[in-house]
Amino acid sequence: MKVSLVWSSPSPERTIAVAMRRCFSTKAIGDIESELDQKGPEYWKYLLSKALQDKSLDVLEHFTMTLLVEGAAESDVGNLNRDFPYLRTTRLKGADWLISMNARTLVELWRDLRGKDFANRVAAELEGRNVCPIFSELAFGGRVRAS
Amino acid sequence: MRVKLLYHTDLEALRRVFAKEGVPFDPEVVMDHVVYMFEIEDCSRVTTHQLVRHRAVSYDQESQRFSAATKEGVITPPSILSNESAYKAYDEALKVIYSSYERMVAAGVPKEDARYILPSAIMTKLVMTLNARSLMHMVWQRTALQAQWEIRELAMTLHNLARDATPELWTRIIER
Repeated sequence: MKVSLVWSSPSPERTIAVAMRRCFSTKAIGDIESELDQKGPEYWKYLLSKALQDKSLDVLEHFTMTLLVEGAAESDVGNLNRDFPYLRTTRLKGADWLISMNARTLVELWRDLRGKDFANRVAAELEGRNVCPIFSELAFGGRVRAS
Repeated sequence: MRVKLLYHTDLEALRRVFAKEGVPFDPEVVMDHVVYMFEIEDCSRVTTHQLVRHRAVSYDQESQRFSAATKEGVITPPSILSNESAYKAYDEALKVIYSSYERMVAAGVPKEDARYILPSAIMTKLVMTLNARSLMHMVWQRTALQAQWEIRELAMTLHNLARDATPELWTRIIER
Protein backbone atom coordinates (compact mmCIF):
# COMPACT_ATOMS: atom_id res chain seq x y z
CA MET A 1 0.00 0.00 0.00
CA LYS A 2 1.38 3.42 -0.98
CA VAL A 3 0.08 6.61 0.62
CA SER A 4 0.65 10.01 -1.05
CA LEU A 5 -0.57 13.36 0.17
CA VAL A 6 -2.81 15.10 -2.37
CA TRP A 7 -3.67 18.20 -0.36
CA SER A 8 -3.74 19.38 3.24
CA SER A 9 -5.06 22.52 4.87
CA PRO A 10 -2.57 25.39 5.04
CA SER A 11 -0.47 26.02 8.15
CA PRO A 12 -2.01 23.15 10.17
CA GLU A 13 -0.68 24.04 13.60
CA ARG A 14 -1.73 27.68 13.22
CA THR A 15 -5.22 26.57 12.09
CA ILE A 16 -5.55 24.34 15.16
CA ALA A 17 -4.40 27.23 17.35
CA VAL A 18 -7.03 29.53 15.77
CA ALA A 19 -9.76 26.99 16.62
CA MET A 20 -8.48 26.63 20.15
CA ARG A 21 -8.24 30.36 20.80
CA ARG A 22 -11.73 30.80 19.30
CA CYS A 23 -13.16 28.92 22.27
CA PHE A 24 -11.43 30.95 24.95
CA SER A 25 -11.11 34.44 23.45
CA THR A 26 -13.65 37.21 22.90
CA LYS A 27 -11.55 38.66 20.07
CA ALA A 28 -12.49 38.66 16.38
CA ILE A 29 -10.73 35.99 14.30
CA GLY A 30 -8.52 38.62 12.61
CA ASP A 31 -7.25 39.72 16.01
CA ILE A 32 -6.73 36.10 17.11
CA GLU A 33 -4.70 35.50 13.93
CA SER A 34 -2.58 38.61 14.59
CA GLU A 35 -1.99 37.46 18.16
CA LEU A 36 -0.94 33.99 16.97
CA ASP A 37 1.39 35.40 14.31
CA GLN A 38 2.96 37.72 16.85
CA LYS A 39 3.53 34.93 19.39
CA GLY A 40 4.78 32.49 16.74
CA PRO A 41 5.13 28.69 16.42
CA GLU A 42 6.29 28.12 20.02
CA TYR A 43 2.88 29.38 21.21
CA TRP A 44 1.03 27.24 18.65
CA LYS A 45 3.01 24.30 20.01
CA TYR A 46 1.99 25.16 23.57
CA LEU A 47 -1.70 25.30 22.57
CA LEU A 48 -1.51 22.06 20.60
CA SER A 49 0.24 20.21 23.42
CA LYS A 50 -2.44 21.47 25.82
CA ALA A 51 -5.22 20.23 23.49
CA LEU A 52 -3.61 16.79 23.27
CA GLN A 53 -2.97 16.70 27.01
CA ASP A 54 -6.55 17.73 27.86
CA LYS A 55 -7.93 15.33 25.21
CA SER A 56 -9.67 18.32 23.56
CA LEU A 57 -9.23 16.69 20.18
CA ASP A 58 -12.10 18.62 18.54
CA VAL A 59 -9.74 21.46 17.63
CA LEU A 60 -7.71 19.02 15.48
CA GLU A 61 -10.74 18.57 13.22
CA HIS A 62 -9.92 21.81 11.39
CA PHE A 63 -6.67 20.35 10.03
CA THR A 64 -7.86 18.30 7.08
CA MET A 65 -6.09 16.25 4.40
CA THR A 66 -6.77 14.22 1.26
CA LEU A 67 -4.62 11.21 0.34
CA LEU A 68 -4.14 8.98 -2.67
CA VAL A 69 -3.88 5.39 -1.42
CA GLU A 70 -2.61 2.94 -4.03
CA GLY A 71 -2.75 -0.82 -3.72
CA ALA A 72 -5.27 -1.12 -0.88
CA ALA A 73 -7.59 -4.12 -0.76
CA GLU A 74 -11.31 -3.35 -0.67
CA SER A 75 -11.63 -5.38 2.55
CA ASP A 76 -8.96 -3.25 4.28
CA VAL A 77 -10.58 0.02 3.23
CA GLY A 78 -14.00 -1.40 4.20
CA ASN A 79 -12.71 -2.27 7.67
CA LEU A 80 -11.25 1.22 8.14
CA ASN A 81 -14.56 2.74 7.03
CA ARG A 82 -16.50 0.58 9.47
CA ASP A 83 -14.21 1.25 12.44
CA PHE A 84 -13.60 4.96 11.72
CA PRO A 85 -16.83 6.44 10.31
CA TYR A 86 -15.41 9.94 9.80
CA LEU A 87 -13.04 8.70 7.09
CA ARG A 88 -14.24 9.60 3.59
CA THR A 89 -13.22 7.01 0.99
CA THR A 90 -13.81 6.91 -2.76
CA ARG A 91 -12.52 4.20 -5.06
CA LEU A 92 -10.81 5.78 -8.07
CA LYS A 93 -10.05 2.53 -9.89
CA GLY A 94 -9.00 -0.99 -8.93
CA ALA A 95 -7.10 -0.84 -5.66
CA ASP A 96 -6.55 2.94 -5.76
CA TRP A 97 -8.53 5.16 -3.39
CA LEU A 98 -9.03 8.80 -2.51
CA ILE A 99 -9.24 9.10 1.28
CA SER A 100 -9.97 12.29 3.22
CA MET A 101 -9.87 12.81 6.95
CA ASN A 102 -9.06 15.30 9.63
CA ALA A 103 -6.21 15.19 12.14
CA ARG A 104 -8.47 14.03 14.96
CA THR A 105 -9.36 10.91 12.98
CA LEU A 106 -5.65 10.42 12.22
CA VAL A 107 -4.81 10.55 15.94
CA GLU A 108 -7.66 8.12 16.69
CA LEU A 109 -6.39 5.76 13.98
CA TRP A 110 -2.89 6.02 15.43
CA ARG A 111 -4.08 5.18 18.93
CA ASP A 112 -6.13 2.16 17.82
CA LEU A 113 -4.60 -1.17 16.76
CA ARG A 114 -7.16 -1.44 13.94
CA GLY A 115 -5.91 1.80 12.39
CA LYS A 116 -2.28 1.85 13.51
CA ASP A 117 -0.70 0.55 10.30
CA PHE A 118 -2.60 2.96 8.06
CA ALA A 119 -1.98 5.88 10.46
CA ASN A 120 1.73 5.06 10.45
CA ARG A 121 1.86 5.35 6.68
CA VAL A 122 -0.06 8.65 6.70
CA ALA A 123 2.12 10.04 9.52
CA ALA A 124 5.29 9.04 7.63
CA GLU A 125 4.00 10.77 4.47
CA LEU A 126 3.20 13.96 6.44
CA GLU A 127 6.60 13.83 8.08
CA GLY A 128 8.38 13.15 4.79
CA ARG A 129 6.79 16.23 3.27
CA ASN A 130 7.34 18.32 6.41
CA VAL A 131 3.64 19.28 6.40
CA CYS A 132 3.17 19.66 10.15
CA PRO A 133 6.41 19.15 12.10
CA ILE A 134 5.00 20.38 15.42
CA PHE A 135 1.86 18.24 15.13
CA SER A 136 3.90 15.18 14.07
CA GLU A 137 6.23 15.55 17.04
CA LEU A 138 3.46 16.03 19.58
CA ALA A 139 0.90 13.56 18.23
CA PHE A 140 3.23 10.74 17.24
CA GLY A 141 6.21 11.48 19.48
CA GLY A 142 8.77 10.88 16.75
CA ARG A 143 7.72 7.23 16.61
CA VAL A 144 6.69 7.29 12.96
CA ARG A 145 7.95 4.29 11.02
CA ALA A 146 9.23 5.19 7.57
CA SER A 147 7.05 3.51 4.94
CA MET B 1 -23.07 39.02 10.94
CA ARG B 2 -19.65 38.50 9.35
CA VAL B 3 -18.67 35.32 7.54
CA LYS B 4 -15.28 34.58 5.97
CA LEU B 5 -13.90 31.53 4.19
CA LEU B 6 -10.57 30.72 5.88
CA TYR B 7 -9.51 27.93 3.52
CA HIS B 8 -10.87 25.38 1.09
CA THR B 9 -9.51 22.28 -0.64
CA ASP B 10 -7.63 22.97 -3.86
CA LEU B 11 -9.75 21.43 -6.64
CA GLU B 12 -6.74 21.45 -8.96
CA ALA B 13 -4.88 19.06 -6.65
CA LEU B 14 -7.82 16.65 -6.83
CA ARG B 15 -8.07 17.09 -10.58
CA ARG B 16 -4.40 16.10 -10.99
CA VAL B 17 -5.03 12.85 -9.09
CA PHE B 18 -7.99 11.99 -11.29
CA ALA B 19 -5.86 12.70 -14.39
CA LYS B 20 -3.00 10.56 -13.04
CA GLU B 21 -5.42 7.71 -12.44
CA GLY B 22 -7.07 8.18 -15.83
CA VAL B 23 -10.49 8.66 -14.22
CA PRO B 24 -12.91 11.42 -15.33
CA PHE B 25 -13.17 14.23 -12.75
CA ASP B 26 -16.66 14.16 -11.28
CA PRO B 27 -17.90 16.94 -8.92
CA GLU B 28 -20.39 14.51 -7.40
CA VAL B 29 -17.55 12.17 -6.41
CA VAL B 30 -15.26 14.83 -4.91
CA MET B 31 -17.97 16.38 -2.71
CA ASP B 32 -16.78 14.28 0.24
CA HIS B 33 -13.19 15.40 -0.30
CA VAL B 34 -13.59 19.15 -0.74
CA VAL B 35 -13.47 20.84 2.66
CA TYR B 36 -14.23 24.44 3.67
CA MET B 37 -13.32 26.20 6.92
CA PHE B 38 -15.38 29.30 7.78
CA GLU B 39 -15.30 31.88 10.52
CA ILE B 40 -18.70 33.20 11.57
CA GLU B 41 -18.94 36.24 13.81
CA ASP B 42 -21.75 38.15 15.45
CA CYS B 43 -24.72 35.93 14.79
CA SER B 44 -27.07 34.96 17.62
CA ARG B 45 -26.91 31.80 19.68
CA VAL B 46 -30.46 31.15 18.38
CA THR B 47 -28.87 30.61 14.98
CA THR B 48 -25.91 28.56 16.19
CA HIS B 49 -28.27 26.26 18.14
CA GLN B 50 -29.87 25.50 14.76
CA LEU B 51 -26.51 25.32 12.99
CA VAL B 52 -24.98 22.70 15.29
CA ARG B 53 -27.86 20.32 14.58
CA HIS B 54 -26.03 19.65 11.30
CA ARG B 55 -23.75 16.72 12.00
CA ALA B 56 -20.43 15.59 10.46
CA VAL B 57 -19.36 19.22 10.85
CA SER B 58 -16.59 20.50 13.14
CA TYR B 59 -17.42 23.53 15.30
CA ASP B 60 -15.40 25.54 17.80
CA GLN B 61 -17.38 28.35 19.40
CA GLU B 62 -16.61 31.19 21.80
CA SER B 63 -17.29 29.85 25.28
CA GLN B 64 -19.49 31.72 27.73
CA ARG B 65 -17.60 29.99 30.53
CA PHE B 66 -14.68 32.33 29.93
CA SER B 67 -15.98 35.46 28.20
CA ALA B 68 -18.08 38.08 29.96
CA ALA B 69 -21.38 39.02 28.29
CA THR B 70 -22.45 42.58 27.53
CA LYS B 71 -25.85 44.02 26.68
CA GLU B 72 -24.46 45.56 23.49
CA GLY B 73 -23.71 42.15 22.04
CA VAL B 74 -27.22 41.01 21.17
CA ILE B 75 -29.14 40.46 17.94
CA THR B 76 -32.57 42.12 17.68
CA PRO B 77 -34.89 40.48 15.11
CA PRO B 78 -36.44 42.92 12.57
CA SER B 79 -39.96 42.01 13.74
CA ILE B 80 -39.08 43.34 17.21
CA LEU B 81 -37.00 46.27 15.99
CA SER B 82 -39.85 47.57 13.83
CA ASN B 83 -42.49 47.28 16.55
CA GLU B 84 -42.22 50.00 19.18
CA SER B 85 -44.05 48.27 22.02
CA ALA B 86 -42.36 44.93 21.29
CA TYR B 87 -38.94 46.58 21.26
CA LYS B 88 -39.69 48.27 24.58
CA ALA B 89 -40.54 44.88 26.14
CA TYR B 90 -37.41 43.31 24.60
CA ASP B 91 -35.14 46.07 25.79
CA GLU B 92 -36.58 46.04 29.30
CA ALA B 93 -36.07 42.28 29.59
CA LEU B 94 -32.47 42.57 28.35
CA LYS B 95 -31.74 45.31 30.89
CA VAL B 96 -33.02 43.09 33.72
CA ILE B 97 -31.08 40.06 32.43
CA TYR B 98 -27.76 41.87 32.06
CA SER B 99 -28.13 43.72 35.34
CA SER B 100 -28.75 40.37 37.09
CA TYR B 101 -25.81 38.77 35.24
CA GLU B 102 -23.43 41.55 36.28
CA ARG B 103 -24.65 41.44 39.89
CA MET B 104 -24.11 37.69 40.05
CA VAL B 105 -20.59 37.93 38.59
CA ALA B 106 -19.79 40.78 41.01
CA ALA B 107 -21.07 38.60 43.87
CA GLY B 108 -18.53 35.93 42.94
CA VAL B 109 -20.68 33.56 40.87
CA PRO B 110 -18.45 32.01 38.17
CA LYS B 111 -19.26 33.16 34.62
CA GLU B 112 -20.00 29.53 33.72
CA ASP B 113 -22.92 29.63 36.20
CA ALA B 114 -24.01 33.26 35.74
CA ARG B 115 -24.45 32.54 32.01
CA TYR B 116 -27.54 30.43 32.76
CA ILE B 117 -29.54 33.65 32.71
CA LEU B 118 -28.19 34.96 29.39
CA PRO B 119 -30.55 35.26 26.39
CA SER B 120 -30.31 33.26 23.17
CA ALA B 121 -30.15 36.63 21.40
CA ILE B 122 -26.53 36.99 22.50
CA MET B 123 -23.95 37.34 19.70
CA THR B 124 -21.40 34.60 19.30
CA LYS B 125 -18.35 33.71 17.22
CA LEU B 126 -17.25 30.34 15.87
CA VAL B 127 -15.18 28.49 13.32
CA MET B 128 -16.74 25.68 11.29
CA THR B 129 -15.15 23.08 9.01
CA LEU B 130 -17.20 20.79 6.77
CA ASN B 131 -17.08 19.07 3.42
CA ALA B 132 -19.03 20.10 0.32
CA ARG B 133 -21.63 17.36 0.78
CA SER B 134 -22.48 18.51 4.32
CA LEU B 135 -22.41 22.16 3.27
CA MET B 136 -24.71 21.51 0.33
CA HIS B 137 -27.20 19.74 2.60
CA MET B 138 -27.01 22.60 5.09
CA VAL B 139 -27.53 25.20 2.37
CA TRP B 140 -30.41 23.23 0.84
CA GLN B 141 -32.24 22.98 4.18
CA ARG B 142 -31.47 26.39 5.65
CA THR B 143 -32.16 28.53 2.59
CA ALA B 144 -35.69 27.09 2.39
CA LEU B 145 -38.45 29.67 2.78
CA GLN B 146 -39.56 27.96 6.00
CA ALA B 147 -36.13 28.53 7.60
CA GLN B 148 -35.68 31.44 10.01
CA TRP B 149 -34.37 34.75 8.62
CA GLU B 150 -31.03 34.77 10.40
CA ILE B 151 -29.92 31.25 9.51
CA ARG B 152 -31.23 31.82 5.96
CA GLU B 153 -28.95 34.83 5.72
CA LEU B 154 -26.06 32.73 7.06
CA ALA B 155 -26.77 29.80 4.70
CA MET B 156 -26.98 32.10 1.68
CA THR B 157 -23.66 33.72 2.62
CA LEU B 158 -22.00 30.32 3.09
CA HIS B 159 -23.33 29.25 -0.30
CA ASN B 160 -22.05 32.38 -2.03
CA LEU B 161 -18.57 32.03 -0.51
CA ALA B 162 -18.32 28.32 -1.41
CA ARG B 163 -19.66 28.92 -4.92
CA ASP B 164 -17.18 31.76 -5.54
CA ALA B 165 -14.26 29.66 -4.24
CA THR B 166 -15.16 26.46 -6.10
CA PRO B 167 -17.61 27.54 -8.82
CA GLU B 168 -17.30 24.42 -10.91
CA LEU B 169 -18.38 22.18 -8.08
CA TRP B 170 -21.45 24.19 -7.14
CA THR B 171 -22.57 25.23 -10.60
CA ARG B 172 -22.38 21.75 -12.07
CA ILE B 173 -24.19 20.15 -9.15
CA ILE B 174 -26.92 22.79 -9.03
CA GLU B 175 -27.46 22.42 -12.78
CA ARG B 176 -28.40 18.74 -12.33
